[in-house]
Parts: sequence; C-alpha cells; structure tokens
Amino acid sequence: MNGVAASRRSPRRRAALQGGVALVLLGAVLAGSALLPESAQTVDAVARALPPQPGHILGTDLLGRDIAARTLAALAQSLQVGLLAAGCSTMVAVLLGLAATFGRAADHVVGALTELALGLPHFVLLIMIAFAAGGGTTGVIVAVALTHWPRLARVLRHEAQGIAASDYVAISRALGRSRGWIARHHLVPHLVPQIVAGFIVIFPHAILHEAGLSFIGLGIEPHLPSVGVMLADSLREIMAGNWWVGAAPGLGLMLVALAFERFGEALRRTTSPAGGVA
Amino acid sequence: MTGWLVPLLAGRLVRLAWLLPVAAVGLFALISLAPIDPVQAYVGGRTSQIGPEQRAAIAAVWGLDLPAPERFASWLGQLLRGDLGQSISYNAPVAQVIAARLPASLALIGTAFVASFVLGALLGLVAGATRGQWPDRLIRTVAVVLAASPGFWVAILLVSVFAVGLGWLPSCCAMPPGRLASEVTLAERWHHMVLPVVTLSVVGIAPLVLHTRQSLIAFLDSPAAGHLAAHGASPLRLAFGPGLRHAVGVALTLHLAGAGELFGGSVLAEAVFAWPGLGQATVRAATGADEPLLMGIGLATLIFVFAGNLLADIAARLADPRLRGQA
Amino acid sequence: MIRSLPALALALSLAVPSQADARALVLAIGGEPDGGFDPIMGWGHYGSPLFQSTLLRYDAKLELIGDLATNWELSEDRLVWRLSLRDDAVFSDGRPLTAEDVVFTYNTARTAGGLADLRVLREARAIDATTVELALTEPRITFAARLATLGIVPAGSYGAEYARHPVGSGPFRMVEWREGEQLVVEPNPHWHGGEIAFERVSFVFGSEEAGQALARTGAADLVAVPPSMADRAPPGMEDLHVDSVDNRGLAFPMLPSTGRTTDAGAAIGNDVTADRAIRVAVNQALDRDALVALALDGHGRPAMGPADGLPWDNPEAAIPGNDPAAAMDTLDAAGWTDEDGDGIREKDGLRAAFQLLYPASDSTRQALALGASEQLRGIGIDARPTGGSWDEIGALMHSQVVVLGWGAHDPSEIYFLHHGNYSGVDYYNTGHYANPAVDAHLEAAEAASGVDASLARWKAAAWDGETGFGPRGDAAWAWMVNLEHSYWVSECLDLGALQVHPHGHGFPITHDLASWRWTCE
Repeated sequence: MNGVAASRRSPRRRAALQGGVALVLLGAVLAGSALLPESAQTVDAVARALPPQPGHILGTDLLGRDIAARTLAALAQSLQVGLLAAGCSTMVAVLLGLAATFGRAADHVVGALTELALGLPHFVLLIMIAFAAGGGTTGVIVAVALTHWPRLARVLRHEAQGIAASDYVAISRALGRSRGWIARHHLVPHLVPQIVAGFIVIFPHAILHEAGLSFIGLGIEPHLPSVGVMLADSLREIMAGNWWVGAAPGLGLMLVALAFERFGEALRRTTSPAGGVA
Repeated sequence: MTGWLVPLLAGRLVRLAWLLPVAAVGLFALISLAPIDPVQAYVGGRTSQIGPEQRAAIAAVWGLDLPAPERFASWLGQLLRGDLGQSISYNAPVAQVIAARLPASLALIGTAFVASFVLGALLGLVAGATRGQWPDRLIRTVAVVLAASPGFWVAILLVSVFAVGLGWLPSCCAMPPGRLASEVTLAERWHHMVLPVVTLSVVGIAPLVLHTRQSLIAFLDSPAAGHLAAHGASPLRLAFGPGLRHAVGVALTLHLAGAGELFGGSVLAEAVFAWPGLGQATVRAATGADEPLLMGIGLATLIFVFAGNLLADIAARLADPRLRGQA
Repeated sequence: MIRSLPALALALSLAVPSQADARALVLAIGGEPDGGFDPIMGWGHYGSPLFQSTLLRYDAKLELIGDLATNWELSEDRLVWRLSLRDDAVFSDGRPLTAEDVVFTYNTARTAGGLADLRVLREARAIDATTVELALTEPRITFAARLATLGIVPAGSYGAEYARHPVGSGPFRMVEWREGEQLVVEPNPHWHGGEIAFERVSFVFGSEEAGQALARTGAADLVAVPPSMADRAPPGMEDLHVDSVDNRGLAFPMLPSTGRTTDAGAAIGNDVTADRAIRVAVNQALDRDALVALALDGHGRPAMGPADGLPWDNPEAAIPGNDPAAAMDTLDAAGWTDEDGDGIREKDGLRAAFQLLYPASDSTRQALALGASEQLRGIGIDARPTGGSWDEIGALMHSQVVVLGWGAHDPSEIYFLHHGNYSGVDYYNTGHYANPAVDAHLEAAEAASGVDASLARWKAAAWDGETGFGPRGDAAWAWMVNLEHSYWVSECLDLGALQVHPHGHGFPITHDLASWRWTCE
C-alpha cells in the first residue's frame, strides 16, 4: 500500500532512520537548552525588537530577549512536558487496555470511559481537564495524559484479548497461574512493541496540544519559556511588523512534531505493514 | 430501502441516553475539582472596590459557597426544568450565552467543513492519480507538514503575510468595525471569514488527503479499473470519473466523524482572529471559573460530536451497503 | 450561507469603510463588560457609564460635582446622606427619573451580589419626588465614591434583560451591541447635560491588534495602545500619554517569622523585611527612573506612594530614592554588614535575602522585579525574582516580598491596604501591617464630616509628623512606578481635560466623553 518511494527500503530500516532523526533532534534541543547560559533569556532594554542580525541570529522580542535562546529553551520545556504527558497517557492506556481483559464488567467500564473521552471535542476536554487541575504546567500534563489514551487503549485491548484467548494462555491458566502472572509473562512482553509505538504516536500530539493550551493562557505559566506562550506574545508583535518573533518557535515545534510523527508512522508500519494511514 | 436506518437511530439514541447523564456527572465532578476561587475569578481586577463582605454576598447570591454535591443537585433541578443555569461571567442564562455565540462558530465551522472536504478530496484524488510522481509527493509532503503544524501558528503566519504584510485581508473580527450589522454587506462578511476559514480547514486536512488517496489507489489497482485502463482511460480520468464515487464516500464518512475536532480548532482560530463565537466563551468560562457555562458548553459540544458521528455512520452505510447489517 | 467566491473580489474593493457619516466616532479602547451594562451588577465603575447617570460625578481633578443631585449633605452623625435631585432628568424611554428610581437602584444593588459593593448601606428611602436619603450602618466617607459610580436604573422596567438593553438617563442610548465585537451608541435626546458632538459612537472590542490595524487605515479615532506602540502613531493621529495611578510596588511582610500561618496554611512573616531598616533602605536604593526606562520603556513616572497626585496623596510621606549611599548607611547603622564577603549583608547570621514574587504572566512586573533585584544587589540585599501563578503567589505573599499593583479613584483602597483589620485578607494587606496610630487616622478619615475633611486624615495616615505607613514612617511598601496609559488619538479630536487614570488602561479615558469635540471640519 505504500508509495513506490517508501517501499524501496525495508520498513525496519526506515523506522530506524526516522527514529534516529527524531532522537537526534530531541537530544540537540535538550542539550542545547541545558548548555544555554541563563543570561541568554533575560530582558535587555537596549536590544528591543531587533530583526535577525549577528549576535541575535533570530532577532529579539519587545523585551529584548533573544529569540534563538528563548526558542531553544521553549522547545526544551515543551519536549519535557510532552514526554511526561505522553508517558503518563501511555500508562493510562496500558492500564485501561489490560483492565479490559479482566472480565466483562471491566471491559464495559473501559468502553464507557473511552466513549466519554471521545464524546467531547478533543480540545474542549483538554480545556476542561486543564481547568479542573488548576491550570499551569501540572494542568497541561494532567490534561494531555487523560485525553490521549483512547486510541492506544483500544489497540491494546484488542491485542490483549487476542492473546488472552490463545492456547498458551489457556495452558498457563490450566497450570494454575494467576492473572497477574499471566499478564506479566504473556501479555506485557507481547504488547511492548505496540506500547512503544503508541507512545511515539502520542508524543507529537501531546506537544501540539500543550502548545495550544498555553497559547490560550490555560497551559504552561507565561514566565516559563514555552512555544505556546511565545506564539501568543508574537501575535501582538506581528502587528508592529516583527514577524521574526513568531517564525522560529512555530517552525521549531513543527519540525519536532514532524520528526516524531514520521517516526511513529514508520514504527507502526513495522508492526502492521499493511496498515492504513490514520 | 431504509430498513437499516431505524435500528441505527434507535441504537444511537440508547447510547445518547446513557452517555449524557454519565457525561454530566463526570464533567461536573471534574469541574468541581478546580482549585480556582470563583469569587476571585469574578472580582478579577476590581479587588480594590469589593470588600470582604461583598465577596461573601457574591458567593451567597451565586451559590458559590455551597458544597459541590448541592451545587450539582440544584443545577440538575434547573436542568430538569429546561434551564441550563446562569453564567456568572456573562450575567445571563447559559442557554442565551450559547445561543448568542453558536451561529458565529457554526458559520466558521460549517464553511471550513465544506472547504476542507472539497480541498482535501481534490488533493487526495490528484495524489492518488499521480501516484509516485511529483504532484503526489508534493501533496503528501504538504499534508504531513500541515498535520505537524500547530493550527494557531498557521493562523499567525497567514495574518503575518495576508493581513500585515500584503494588507489584503482583515485579521480580526467577524465584521468591519464602526458600522451596524445591518450596514455590513455579505461580501464584507465573507471577506472577514477568509483567514479563519482557511486556518481551520487547512489544519485537519491531512488524514482526508491521505485517505482519499489510499481509497483511490485501491480502486485503481482493482480489476475493474484495470479493465477501463486497458481501454485507454487515463488515471486522472479514472480518478475523477468512476474513482470519484468510490473514494469520496469513504472520505465523507471520515470527515463527518472528525467534525467535532473542527470545534476544537475553532477555539484556537477564534482566539487568533477575535472571532465572537463559542470558542472564546469556552476560554472565558474556564478563566472565569464559570461552572454552569462550562457544563453547558460541554454538553452542547458532546451532542455536536455525537451528531457528527451519527451522520458519519449513515454516510458510511449509504456508501457501502455491506455495513447496513450492523447497528 | 454558501455563496460564490467572486464576492471576495468585490469585498477587497470595499475594505475601507465609508466616511459618509462624518460625525461618527470610533473608539478602540477595550472595556467591554462581559456581563452587560447593568450598574447594579457593577457596570460603570470607571469612565463614562454611557447609558446611565449617577448622583454625583468626578471632574477632571477628581473632585465631586453634582450630576443627578443638585445638592447633597451628610448628617451630623455621618450616617445619612441627603440628596436633592434635579427635576429635569428623563430616562431614554421618555419617562422622568424620580427619587423612587434612585431608592430602587440603591436598595437592589445592596443585595444583588454583583460588583457594586454597597454593604455599608442600611437603606435608601425617598423623602419626596426629588429628595432621597441614604442611611449607612456606620460612618463611611468613601461611600461618596459609590454616589459617583452607581448609575440609576428605572424602577419600573428594570429586569433580567436590562444588562443587554439598558435604559438610563445618561448621555447615550444603545443602538446595537454585538458581544465580543462592537457597541454602537447614539446621543440620548432626553439627556439633561447638553449637546453631544457625535451622531454615533462605536466602541470596537475584538483584539488590541485589531484596533491598531483600524487606526492605520484611518478607521478609528482613538486607540488604546501598549507601551511598545506608544510612540508610533500612524499619520493623522497623535500619541497621547495620560498619567495614571496604575501603580506597581513592593509589599513587605511586616511581621517576624514565628511559625504562624494563615487559615489556608500560608506562612506569615519574614525576619529580614520585618526590620524597618531593610524596608527604608529598599526605598532609598531604588532608582525609579531607571525602572520606568526598563520596564515601561520610559512611559511612566516614579511612584512614591499608593495614590500619587490624587487628592488624598501625601507627598510628605516619601523619602528620596536613587541614593544607594544613604541606603547603605541605613543598613550599616542597623547592623546589616557583609561579613562573609559574598556581597550580601548579614545581621546576627541572618542573610539580607528574600524572594521577590511577581505574577509570571505579566512582563512589566517581571521586568520590574528583575530591575529592582539588580539595584538591590548593589546595596547588599539579595532579592531573588520569582515568577509564579497567582495561586503560588497567594501561598507566599505573607512571608515574601511581592510586586503588587493598585491605583483606584477611591481612598478606601488606602484603608484596605494599610488597616490592621485587613491583615492577610485577600490581596489587601498582605504584609500584616498594623499600626494603631495609622488605624486611628484611617478610621477618622472614614468618619470625617465630609469628603474634603477626610483628605487631611488620609494624608495623616501616610505621615502625620511622627509615624505613618509611608516610607518616612513604617515603610510598609516600596512603591516603584506609575504606568502611563498610551493612546493614539485623531488630530481632529479634542478630549478636553483628562483625569489621572486609575488601574486599568483604556475605557477610563471616556469619563467625559459627552464633552469631546471635533476640531476639524
């Protein structure tokens, strides 16, 4: 089903390549922001609203903060929040996906929770949960963690039920193994590739939604450099013609999301080579 | 021939019948967890004119001092009488707040829905017909890049180029300021809709493009298409001829099922373009800790998503009769 | 709803609004009340109430003059305001305004649970058709501010729809309000105040950016702009900078730390700032002009007290700033010296260090915190700027220094900020400041026989020659800057004399909208 160009390489090599690109980008952003001197982000009354030039390769904003340094720090902030939130969301998906194999009642409860989570527009649910968690960085993490699990949970539930119905699980059960033992020794090892792929797919969505929440003021606190906050600020500055203020952070976020989306897509093809696009 | 429609509708109604109450309880529980003081949110910047006694009076009049279960009970009581409650941030009934802002949002969402469907299906068909060639690669790259772009950033770029740079399009509001609604021409209203609609339709277009492309390719690989091709039909002719119906039915189903997400996108688009719709009210309700309004918006959007999914189910069955056996 | 695209091409040519109605005024100054135009719920506290008129009003010098009231007096026991009403005031629906309407408005607002605080009102009563009495529960001279802000609504037709369809005796009546977008008003032909020079006034809300875009196309006549845009008025417009008491200062915790906490569990007290020498030294060291340059881009003025330039301000209470040498003398004399050579002073093993909290969402306060911290480091005080959400600040503001902003056209703010009874109440007296002499002055001000008589008492609370809350006395605050509110205004528009603005940029400029005039033909 893949395009001609894509099928030239094996899915596995392709995934490794995409993964390499994504991880190098991730590492570069995190290392770059860690190495950044603190002074790089402070306000400077003299260097206000400078266009890109030597010394400030991406320009400065109205408070005289260097856009390059701030973008790097913002991306690192977004990535950390995104990693944490996507990790939590994956854990929620694993717990609910496995819980669905614990009898019909549990399956129904998980099904109802999934219906609920998918019943509201994604972003509205994000706003509600972020508000309920009191906003701020914690609010974003909780909101993203509690909204991105349904798809992965469905996949895991489907797989887990398949495994649970298999012969070797039946044999283990006949040997008197407990549910927990079976989950540990049969279910989880088989599901690990799915879980990893699921995490990689959730991650770009997590950072995009985190940026959206921060943009409307319900996310990361405005004093922390974050892409959403920088873009919200940039809206004001664009009117004065300072286009460079919004260009870099948005582009950076897009590149990271793109790298991980490609990685996730490539990874998914290694696990289900005939899969569709969604 | 519509024998399948009645069981489908009945099944969905049953689902709505349990989903709504469960969602109401769940949402209320969620909202009541918020550690935000609603009185402070209401008073906002007026702290210096509102003494502590008046704060207590505000809490008492709006029922903000009651424990959550009691607030839920009174909200439910009102709901059973057809009253969604009173919005503290707008000082108006919730139903009125929603009714006043829904048309603006629906105009945006509806136009974007149509625009993105036409554009997405068109690009998907072209890509499928030129599989592996440069138009296909270009379209796929654009789709994937758009999928990875924050929607509000796309909006900012559009403003930056078309509103500030070129000055062709307004970057704000639903109508030109300074005049009455009755004095504004239809053309001007459309003029103001261009950038928000483009933003909203472009952002969610990727799945549609790629799905349409896939279904067209599936069709082109089928023996029927091979037979037509053998008689000299070019891929493009096949794509916009017999392939169209095949691919578009699937695309419409997918697009309807994703309609709810357009509302999410409109929250951000409305924030960028100062569009006076329900999205802005959602943000206002959250920052103002406006419990009844959040509940009202939550339930309204739930029904919106539900309707989108139902239409998607119907569209899928119209396009593919094999599905009609399933409820 | 869905029409053809050629409409777009047509629209491009129609982008510039027609100038046919030359007398229309377009303002982009924000100030949209989400809850509508109901004075009882809090509409009209600053700027023109547009649709309603008030019993009294403030003139450009913030002195009270009559509007609906032609005469007003406070009883001997300071408990009853007696006001005579003009007999020619008419609501925009043509019905006359009587004492009954005033009584209805005040009694309704008292219990409405809105943003008009009338808790001190016991009862409003009509004596005859043009005389009302407002009885208070206790002497409270600042109630006069309510007389100047609470617009009168018609008793006969007030109801649930009022906020969106206001009827009043003010200078304007509503033509159309598109929520979130625009309010259009026209002169009220029944208004008692004279002629208005505009056929129509539009208030454009939308976004700040939209207002600027309008100004550039010549479609707006007055636009509120952020400091960064202050000197960039487009052709045909002028920059206008209005002084304000929209101030920012440092609130000090006044008590030593004893492990006490608020009911919510927030720690109270700070051993460093409990020492008056530290607070005085901060006041002496701050270079407020430099802070204005840094944080406000020069658009502001140094703040010496909570109400600079208002009638109840006492300039005597201030001490000179930008004097690090004097500040270091103060610290030396009090025993704060740098013994370990790290550049920060200590006293009895206690480092002269505290956090400087600011709401992270506010870039102006961030710049002030960073600038102040830099300046204080120079005299050996370690003030660590710490950005946080308001919730985080709420947990720390009773034990650390916090950047707060105030500035109302109402001296009750002075009372809230400095009276011992307001210790730890909301954001008022965060430092738990309490000085019996100051409390007595504040109470005497509230119990004064008239607004004029109260002024001397407010001033005495700041500095009475021996003590006070000002820097010369207890130095409960170190005020830093007063913002300047910036606008672009059409060269053809005369705004008359302007008030010193309160906290809140934009709409307050309309306080005398009815007297604005065009100067070009």
